[in-house]
Order: sequence, then C-alpha cells, then structure tokens
Amino acid sequence: MTSPDLDSLMKKLTSRGFHEIALQYTKTRTEQVRFSQNTEDLHNYWDESSVSVFAAKGKRTVSTTIADFADADETVNRLWEISDRIPENPRFVGLNPEKVKYTKPQDSIDSEYDLQDMSVNLVNSAIENGAERTAGVLYNRSHSITVKTNHNECTYETGGLEVLIRSFRDDRTGQEARHFGKSIRVDSKTIQQIGKGSAQPLSLARESADIKPGKYRVLMSPYVIGNIISYSSDFLSYHSVESGLSCFADLLGKQVSDSGLTLMDDPLDTGGVGFRLCDNEGTPTRKNTLIGNGVLKSYMHSYSTAKRNGAETTGNAGILNPTAWQLKISPGKVDSEKLLSQLDDGLWINNCWYTRYQDYRNAVFSTVPRDGAFYVKNGEVKGIAKGIRISDSVPSILGNVKAVSRDTKTVKWWEEIGPSSMPSVLVDSVNISKGF
Amino acid sequence: MEPDLIDKILEYASANSSYAEARFMDITSNYLSYRNGEFEGLDFGRESGYAVRVVNNSISMAYSNSSRWDDVKRSVDMALERSRFRGKNSIYRGKEVKDSWKVQAKKKIEDFSIEDKSAILKENDSIMKDGGASVRVNGLSDKRIRQFYRNSMGSEISGDISRIYYHYMVGVVESGEFEQSVEHYGASSGYEYIDGLNLQEKIGHDISDLHQSAAAPRINPGKFDIIVGPEISGIVAHESCGHPTEYDRIIGREGAQAGESFLTGKKIPFRIGSEAVNVIDDPSMEGSFGYYRYDDEGVKSRKRYLYKDGMASDYILNRESAGILGVESNGGGRTASWNLEPLARMSTTYIEPGNHGFEELFDGIKKGVYIKSFTEWNIDDIRFNEKYVGKEAYFITDGEVSGRVRRPVIETNTISFYSAVDAVGKDLEFNAGTCGKGDPMQGVDVWMGGPHMRLRSVHLQ
Repeated sequence: MTSPDLDSLMKKLTSRGFHEIALQYTKTRTEQVRFSQNTEDLHNYWDESSVSVFAAKGKRTVSTTIADFADADETVNRLWEISDRIPENPRFVGLNPEKVKYTKPQDSIDSEYDLQDMSVNLVNSAIENGAERTAGVLYNRSHSITVKTNHNECTYETGGLEVLIRSFRDDRTGQEARHFGKSIRVDSKTIQQIGKGSAQPLSLARESADIKPGKYRVLMSPYVIGNIISYSSDFLSYHSVESGLSCFADLLGKQVSDSGLTLMDDPLDTGGVGFRLCDNEGTPTRKNTLIGNGVLKSYMHSYSTAKRNGAETTGNAGILNPTAWQLKISPGKVDSEKLLSQLDDGLWINNCWYTRYQDYRNAVFSTVPRDGAFYVKNGEVKGIAKGIRISDSVPSILGNVKAVSRDTKTVKWWEEIGPSSMPSVLVDSVNISKGF
Repeated sequence: MEPDLIDKILEYASANSSYAEARFMDITSNYLSYRNGEFEGLDFGRESGYAVRVVNNSISMAYSNSSRWDDVKRSVDMALERSRFRGKNSIYRGKEVKDSWKVQAKKKIEDFSIEDKSAILKENDSIMKDGGASVRVNGLSDKRIRQFYRNSMGSEISGDISRIYYHYMVGVVESGEFEQSVEHYGASSGYEYIDGLNLQEKIGHDISDLHQSAAAPRINPGKFDIIVGPEISGIVAHESCGHPTEYDRIIGREGAQAGESFLTGKKIPFRIGSEAVNVIDDPSMEGSFGYYRYDDEGVKSRKRYLYKDGMASDYILNRESAGILGVESNGGGRTASWNLEPLARMSTTYIEPGNHGFEELFDGIKKGVYIKSFTEWNIDDIRFNEKYVGKEAYFITDGEVSGRVRRPVIETNTISFYSAVDAVGKDLEFNAGTCGKGDPMQGVDVWMGGPHMRLRSVHLQ
C-alpha cells in the first residue's frame, strides 16, 4: 500500500456521504533481536503497512484499519452500512477544522544499526560488570506516517532504537530500558554504558534488610516514577475526567504536587521514539505542561473533548480518548547520587512492574519493585529490601514529592513505561506493604 | 486477503533452511461500547498476513501482510539471512499432521446484528444506572480467526475460530466512598454464549454488592481462616501456577519482560503446597475462551496437570521450549496475531474441584473471612510474591457469614498460599481474561477458574 492511496480513499468515503474523515497511513519496518542466557533467541523482521480510518456521519462514528488496499471498496461500503445502524456518539463533536501548519522536525540521522553486534556488545558489557546472565531485546523501528483529514494533511518519519537489558546474578537483578529517537546516533560506548548500568544494582548489596511494612522516604529511579506516571497518565486525559475516573477531576489550577515537579508531554522531541508531528486528527502536537511547578495546568484534549470542556485541543487525539505521547518530568537541581547520599533512612527502588488499581477514581494502586530495591541508612545501601510493594495512591505520591534530580534518562520499557524522559524523584511517606 | 502464497512461502523457506513453517491468519473483529449512557462508536477490524519461521544456525521469523510475492519473498529472505546468525536453534519438529477444525457456533458472528449488540450494551448500562452506578462502561467484542499452518515436516492444519467477549466496569459512590468492579466474560462460541450468561442478574448483584462493600468496615489485620471464591481460585491458578510453569519463562526467555519463575533451577516434581491442590491447564475444553484443537504451531492440544497433589508436575511447552527441553511439545504454542511469534501460553487454567460442598467449607471456622471476588492484584516477576484485594467479602463467625468487610488484602507467596489450602469445593466456575506476555506484548484469550477453597491461618490486612 502506498501513501497516495489516501487521496482515493478520502474521495470514496466523502462521496459515500461521510462528513468527517481522519485517515492515518503507517508504513513500518522493524528489526528485532531477542536474547536470553547471553545468547540470541530470535531475530524478527516486520514489513507492514496499513491505514486506520475514522469516519463520522453526523455523530455516528465508525473506525477500522485497512491492511490490504484491495479491500478498500468493500471496507468503505461496510463502514457506510454500519453507520446507518448505530446510535449517535454524543462524545464526538467533530475533527479539528482549523487549517494548520506543521513545524519541520530536526533532520533524522541515518539509523542503520547492526543489532547483532549491538546485542553482543550489550551483553558483554553487562557480564564484564558483574552479570552472570542477561536477557533483553533490541528494536530498530522506522515508521512513515501520513495523517489526512478533511482539513489537513501531515507527513512525518519517526521511530528509533530501543535497548532493553536485564542482568542477573543469583537472585539479584538489574535493568536498563532506554530509547533513542531518529535525531540521535547511538554509538558503541552508549551501548556499553547501558549494559554496565543494568549490572550496577547487582553489586550494591548481598544481604537482605529486615523491612517492616510502613511509611518510608523513597528515592524512586526514573523507571519507578516513569512506571507510575505512565500508568496514571490516563487520569490526565479529559476523557477519564468526564467519565468519573480521574483523581485529577476538579483540580485544574490547584496544587497537586511539590512546586519542584513539572510534568510535560513533549512529542516534538526527536530524541525519543515518542516523537510525532501531529495527533490522530491532524492537530500539530506541541509541548504541553500538564503539571507546572506542582499545579495542575491542563488536561490532555482532542478537538472533541476540548469542545466539551470549553478548552482548546492540546494535540493529544485519540479522537475520542486523548492520550499522552512522550512524557517528561523536568530536571530538578540536585544530582540523583546526592539525593541518595542524603537519604538518611529510607529506600531506593530501581524498577517496578505490575501496577494495578483497586480504585481508579482515587488512583489507589500497588506496584511490585524489581531489579534492585534497597534499604538506605545515612546515604549508604545497607541491604536488599525483599518482598515489598508500593501500596499507595497517585495523589499521595505526587503530594509527597520532596526533590527531583537534575539528571534524567530517556526510559521506555515493554508495556510498563511509555516513551518518557524521567529524573529520580524523592518521595516522603510512601506506604510500603509486604507479604506474610 | 487469502492464503494464496502459503505453499510457495513454505517451499521457498524449506529449500533454504533445516526447518520451516508458514502461517496465515485472517482475523475479523467488531467492538462496540457504551460509557455512562453514551454510545462510543463501533470499530471493526480485518487484518491478515503471513508469518514465516526458519531454523538454521538460529531461529528467525518474518512477517508480511502483502499479497505480492516479491514483497513476501523479501521478508522471507530477511528471515533466512538472519537465521544464519549465531543463536539458539533447538526446536521440536514432530511428525506430519493433516487436519482441520472449527468452533461450532449456533448464532454466528456474521448473523448477529449490530442493533442486537448495541441493545445488549444499552440494556446493561440502564441496569447499572438504575442501580445507582455513577461510572458505567460496557464493551462487547467478537472475532473470527481463520488460520492456515504448514511446516516442512508435511503438516497442514486449518482452523476456524469464533470468540465472543463481554467486559464491564462499574463504580458506585456510597457515603462518599468509591467502589468499583471490573468483570470479563468470554467463550469460543457464537452469540448464544451471551444468551446463557445472565448478565443482567450478575450486574445487578455486583452493584448491590459494591454499595454494601463501600459502607463496610475494614479488617483489623491478623490471621484468619479464609474461604476464597472461584474468581480468586482462578486468578491464583493463572498467576502462580500457569505462568511459573511456562517453560520459556523458566529458562529465561521472558527474563527482561514478564520475568522468570520460582521454578527456575528446580527439578519437578517440586512441592508447592498441600496435597489438596491440583491445577490443570486444558486448551481442549470446547467452548472455553482459550479453546483450540491445534495450537498455533500445528500441535494437537491436550490437558496438562501443572500441579498434581501439591507438586509442580508439568510444564507448558511450545515447539521452541520443547526443543530446548528435548521432549515433545504439549501444544502450548499460541500467538495473538499473524505478526507475532508463538510463545508457551496458557489456555484454560483452573484448580481442579475437590469433594467439599460449599456449606462444608464453613464448618469449624470460628473466626474467618469469606473473600468471594477480587479487585486489585499483582505478583512479582518470578510468580511468588503476590497480592489479592478482596471485592465482595464477609466476616465468618462460628461457621456463619456475619457481615461485610471492605477490601481485605491477601499479601502472601505462592507456596504459603497453596500450603494453607485444606479443603477444595465441588463447584467450578470460570472467568475470561486476556493474558499478556512476549515482546512485542501479545494478549491471548484465556479462561481461569476453580472452586471455592478453604485456607487455614492466612494473614489478612
């Protein structure tokens, strides 16, 4: 399927009678190497293209994805037939009608990588720094995307390199999961540093510390705060707010965190794989401050949610359900190493996973630390904190932020962390639970 | 798109590798939802394409959704080129199998109208609203999968699968307190499955329960004899038996993502709990959400005792993990789509019923808690340290239910949980779920279930 097919598809849908149409053509080439036990398990290669279609007849909305353009006529007929038989969708107000211009992104760098060599380099670095065995994955992705609506058309390239490695030594583990957009050329030294970083937690402690359930001051690594922010970013979507499923409802303009915390969505940063030039209805993306100096500044909006809320679109469509593209917490003033050295009595947690909510409205959740959780006394790691859980709420975590590190990392891990740039964050009174 | 190129792909890949497979999947799907009384639109999907797997010095796969041979050949060549790199290359090859199979559906997906689907959602939204729910989400989806599989051993399998899935989320506020419930139902079936679900009654009960739970007292932490309901038996079977017995996890294949297993480095049989505990994974259970006669690697499905008499006793194997173990695959190779690799996966995982009646389980409990269902849950990456937060739960005093308790928390480990089981009920119920694993993440349809069970002296908080 080729990009110019969008014109004929748009004509077909328009002549059929649809009033509002958003098409997104995506051509993807992805190479992957998966490895475990220090050896490659699988080489994968994807060559795919498809067009996602959103079409509205008044407030009756239908969507689909066309993978084989030979099916286009049949699909258009099916969409039309369906649109007569479904109820109206009151949530749909329309697509952004404003004629817009798009900024030219930073030029891409030739991103040919030898993933085979890279995986060997990565694994060797981890082993040289104390890992007994490793597992991970490397991706090199290239996406060509065109978004075409009745009103606008936007074409851009995105993708980049993703590097994930987990290091093991007996029952201890460490992990790094990084992403680099098309404007970054990743060299072998960077790969070695990632391998080394994954092994770093292995040597910090051997013995377990006796951790009792209770409230702790916790230094959260970029992966921990990245996980919590990724899992809670939907609460900042106006779709969740108006559904009654957001802990940020009715808090615009109010203090929700320490004044040192600023959370943004920054899809225009080509240094990450979350780069995108426009959203799914062709609105130019932009850097949005969601929480500025601890104050809730904005929800994420599409044109429809913005109109319902009396606001402006923020370029986060999801036409019906706005979504974050590339979240960032702004750097603070103190190095993370100094925050650790100043931790007089608390925990340093390097990663977490399996974040689940028992209460979406109040964002009450727990998440399971992994890849290094340590008890710290007077700035020194005293032992491994085993079997613990962060069992708390998003408002409480944000409300108890005490410091944000100057150093940040681009982090993206599997289903657990979306493409982000995160610092370490020091949080007071974090509720830690433990199994019996 | 039709599987016109599958034989050509296999022929070309086989000529250039020591083992080759070609798979074609065509998936059509529909999804409709209502949120707080408002219809949210309809999405229908059709995706199809080829996957090829070749083995030389290593295992390599490639995927293409083009119907042009030149495009597909380029992808196959990419797989062949990469299969000459170093890597692991053990794979169970098996013998030639030729068969076809189909999920029988009375009310076929293609015959069930959009209007009828929409009416189901709207009615359930109304029941929720009438029950005083402030948050109401209802979703209904169906999919039909046509699959064709070939390998260089001569196997030719075709399958035709129909699955129906319903989920809802409901939230109530009672005296300023919020409580929520999320439920999932699914089956390999036609739309007759929805007729037999009695969803309206289930939803009505759920909302009534949420109102009462929101107003209930919290527990004073301590040790209690507990009875868990089938929903909890099911999630426990899935999380702390099914996942840790997936052999690819045990050998580290998922180490950087979903993790490994507490069984890594252990020899089976390995004691995991009391002799009352038996856990089965059975993909051959017709009608179940995870039902298949042949897995996505062309291996016939079979029932497996993962835990038997309190001992870990078997693994879930796909062709790759069976090859590494040096045994036959037991038919656990599943993939979520045409463009994803088959992994060792669960299907219907459940605790085998015992011989206790429901009332008998309460006998002799002086101070206990009956936790019928759960809300939040999670588990660590070796599937050992786990947490289940109760949703519908009651105190038990002298063998009788004696009032509600709000969100009691079981935070324990796999061996402690299964070791505390001293009686297993006769009943058996299943819930549907989507099990996530792999990189890229792929969710496959599963059932999880079990009977009521009694556990002694469990710490609740």
